[in-house]
Amino acid sequence: MAKIENITFMAALAAYLVSAALYFVYIAVKNGKVSKAAYTVMFAGFVSHSVCIAVRGILAHRLPLTNQYEFATAFAWGITLCFLIFVKKFKFDALGAFVAPVIFLVIGYASMQSKEIHNLMPALQSNWLGFHVSMAIIGYGAFGVAFGVAMAFLLKDKVHGKIAETIPDEKTLDLIIYRSVALGFLFLTLCMVTGAIWANNAWGSYWSWDPKETWSLITWIIYAVFLHLRVRKGMTGKKAALFAALGFVCVIFTYIGVNTLLSGLHSYK
Amino acid sequence: MTDDGIKKEKSTSDKNGMFKKIFRFLKGMPFSFILLAVIAAACVLGSVIPQGQTLSYYMETYGARKGNLIAAFSLDRVFSCWWFIALAALLCFNLILCSISRIKGVINAWKRTKSFGIWGSWVTHLGLLLLIVSFALSQYTSKEEELYGIPGSKQALGRTGLQVEIDSFDVLLRDDFTVEQYVAGLTVHNGSASLSGEASVNHPFKAFGYRFYQNSMGWANYVDIYKGGELVKTDLICAGEYTFPDDFPSLVIMFNKFYPDFREAEDGSFYTETPLLKDPRSLYGIFYNGGLMSIDIVKPGELITVHDYTFVLRDPVQYTLIVGKTDPYAWTVGLAAAVLLAGLVLSFYVRPYEERKRKENGKD
Ligand code: HEM
Repeated sequence: MAKIENITFMAALAAYLVSAALYFVYIAVKNGKVSKAAYTVMFAGFVSHSVCIAVRGILAHRLPLTNQYEFATAFAWGITLCFLIFVKKFKFDALGAFVAPVIFLVIGYASMQSKEIHNLMPALQSNWLGFHVSMAIIGYGAFGVAFGVAMAFLLKDKVHGKIAETIPDEKTLDLIIYRSVALGFLFLTLCMVTGAIWANNAWGSYWSWDPKETWSLITWIIYAVFLHLRVRKGMTGKKAALFAALGFVCVIFTYIGVNTLLSGLHSYK
Repeated sequence: MTDDGIKKEKSTSDKNGMFKKIFRFLKGMPFSFILLAVIAAACVLGSVIPQGQTLSYYMETYGARKGNLIAAFSLDRVFSCWWFIALAALLCFNLILCSISRIKGVINAWKRTKSFGIWGSWVTHLGLLLLIVSFALSQYTSKEEELYGIPGSKQALGRTGLQVEIDSFDVLLRDDFTVEQYVAGLTVHNGSASLSGEASVNHPFKAFGYRFYQNSMGWANYVDIYKGGELVKTDLICAGEYTFPDDFPSLVIMFNKFYPDFREAEDGSFYTETPLLKDPRSLYGIFYNGGLMSIDIVKPGELITVHDYTFVLRDPVQYTLIVGKTDPYAWTVGLAAAVLLAGLVLSFYVRPYEERKRKENGKD
């Protein structure tokens, strides 16, 4: 079983890398066959990745969403899921060139974490934790996609020729960023609410301003500002895209930086 | 009208114009952006600077100049200091003004379209406003007290009028000695009635409006103190605590650390092999007038003799730390969060859907 977990994980990692490469080829040559291949490889990676996570859940007899490795791999899974849906929905193949590298980086980070399965300390044995982390995965996944599109937006007038042709017009980009941030914002809010319920059960305090909570609030504020920038006319475009990118930097910091640089309830060391 | 009158009229209309301008600023989005930016910056400081430490800690860690700045701006307790609360209050004020000034437009749009999505952002803002207000309410009305004790003990929970009896305390271990759960059996008395139940991590025990949390645990020792062979005092102290003969308080025994299954590593350091009570040792220190006289490790029942006095650490037992908390308005926070979430769903999913349908139907 543990072998299956390892093999499917490596397969997913490899597939995401190959898919990213194919997407780069696609924006260079603008050939529909290449983007189709990239999508297929990505999809295969996603299936393998899903099997990997399921197997780990079976091995651990619980939701595999509790430590740095498990969350990192689920985070990558969430971005992939949102990406696969958004690409189809908005028919924007070149998006892969911007999102697949992010997926690869996140799963690469996961591969550097310890894969050992530990028994859960009592505070982590809660259904609310499962909800809490699931919400985070979808929310962060959507923000990851928004980040990729924001990058495409910011780079659009810096590139020429075929590459520029594969990127949709700014209005479409703006819409995709908006839709994915909206999805992410809703799920980030749900993540914070379910986390608060869990904390209230475990520690008797639903919000205690520990660094992880505080940084998720900072992230929430940045995306709230983004949503408002769009509403006020003339402020869409570059500025909004910058905010979407900044928001994702905050997401990453909340997730990795807080655990390594700041301490609090959420770092069980 | 005299010149004076005209002047006066002009200045009041100027004033009116100025008030209008200020009012428009206070209800506007740029003001919210400024507030949110400052709040976010405060959050960064509050997460980077350790909160709630002593002044000397900041002086040592950050140096005198920065330490003084931290004290002057209450950066040691950002989230409860007056200016942070003032920022939150201003944001509420901003939200109220903006919601009042937008309500007419929203109602008109609602009458025109009868589409629920129109309410999205308005409900979102209402939810946020309620969230801040209910959070403040809950923070100011909640009460928290803690107590610790061993099975069989009965204590008052602070000044709440409740008495808490610890009936049992168990640490459930897995085969690999990791902790599965901490379970405390409790009986709570309120003077006229009593309720019994279990508190474990993630499953607080509810009684008389309070929730009782199994918070943490540790080891305690009974300490017998003999003077010239006669027992003069018996005390129960937890690891980290101390006691002394009542007639000679300058002689102190401190119980530092407990090893239930003692081992000495090759480098001379101590550790416990398992959490089971197999071969227990206690690390203690003897102090005289505040100065450390000796530090050593003993088995339960071993005699520690200092001048006329003999100390005995015996019958090690696990104690539990129980937190009792009441938060009568926590439900309002939950309700506000639900309103906020409903607002978000209306803004992001109902409105675009309704708009698309309207377009397809050729209306509007
Ligand atoms: C942290 C504070 C705030 C949050 C989280 C928040 C959240 C939101 C959300 C989620 C939307 C919907 C956006 C969309 O549909 O795309 C929105 C819209 C809006 N908000 Fe806020 N808001 C906040 C503060 C404010 C304040 C203080 C004002 C008052 C000036 C304001 C004015 C507006 C306006 C005018 C809209 C546009 C509504 C529309 O297009 O129909 N917001 N807000």
